[in-house]
Amino acid sequence: MYKAIRLVLLLSLTAGATGCANVEPWVKPYERQYFADIVMSAERDPVAAAYLNHVFEAREGARGATGSHGGGCGCN
Amino acid sequence: MNTARQMLLACTLALSLPGLAAAAAAPGSAAPDFALAARDGGKVRLADLKGQVVMINFWATWCGPCRQEMPLLAQLNTKYEPLGFTLLGVNVEPDSAAAVSWLKGMPVTFPILFDTDSAVAGSFGVEGMPSTVFVDRKGQVRYIHRGYKPGDEAKYADMIRSLVKE
Repeated sequence: MYKAIRLVLLLSLTAGATGCANVEPWVKPYERQYFADIVMSAERDPVAAAYLNHVFEAREGARGATGSHGGGCGCN
Repeated sequence: MNTARQMLLACTLALSLPGLAAAAAAPGSAAPDFALAARDGGKVRLADLKGQVVMINFWATWCGPCRQEMPLLAQLNTKYEPLGFTLLGVNVEPDSAAAVSWLKGMPVTFPILFDTDSAVAGSFGVEGMPSTVFVDRKGQVRYIHRGYKPGDEAKYADMIRSLVKE
């Protein structure tokens, strides 16, 4: 029983130690145009997103840090 | 314990193999051959250029430094072409329309090739944009330059001069 546990532990340790060595950016440097694809944007419609952010800020009574403009100084 | 040690060794080997298999063109190894469609129609094959010093520049229109160095590469090409030197500009974009329209305003006379499925960029293991590979007269990769910053064209010229003399 202990032997089995030790083996599993050992296996997971090796997998953890060696697996990380091969992690590379999944998008290769010469494939970076795919980042500019429309599906990569968090907000498809900037006008609708700005409006929704405004509604959110009004509802929460706080602003800033949501991606909308304004630095959180309360002056805008 | 002995079996455990063997298991450990086997696991380490098995998990490190994919990393070894991904090794791409490195200085001192033979340049992987390719044949790509060129901008002026026709095809360009690397093996046909054996006996010449070949500089392969991987570029894209979305890459600022690539656009910046393009006129300088054109100058290098016209300067060293008579000495048995060829420059190949490999465009890595899946859609080459942007490259074709951008090049219309450029004084580029060297062959521009279209690597639309990134197979050649993959076989050379391009690790940054732009990447410039220098292949000597025997078809061996001699030097890989990653990126471009102003002044790098002097390094390119030094490399070309030393390879052309061989």
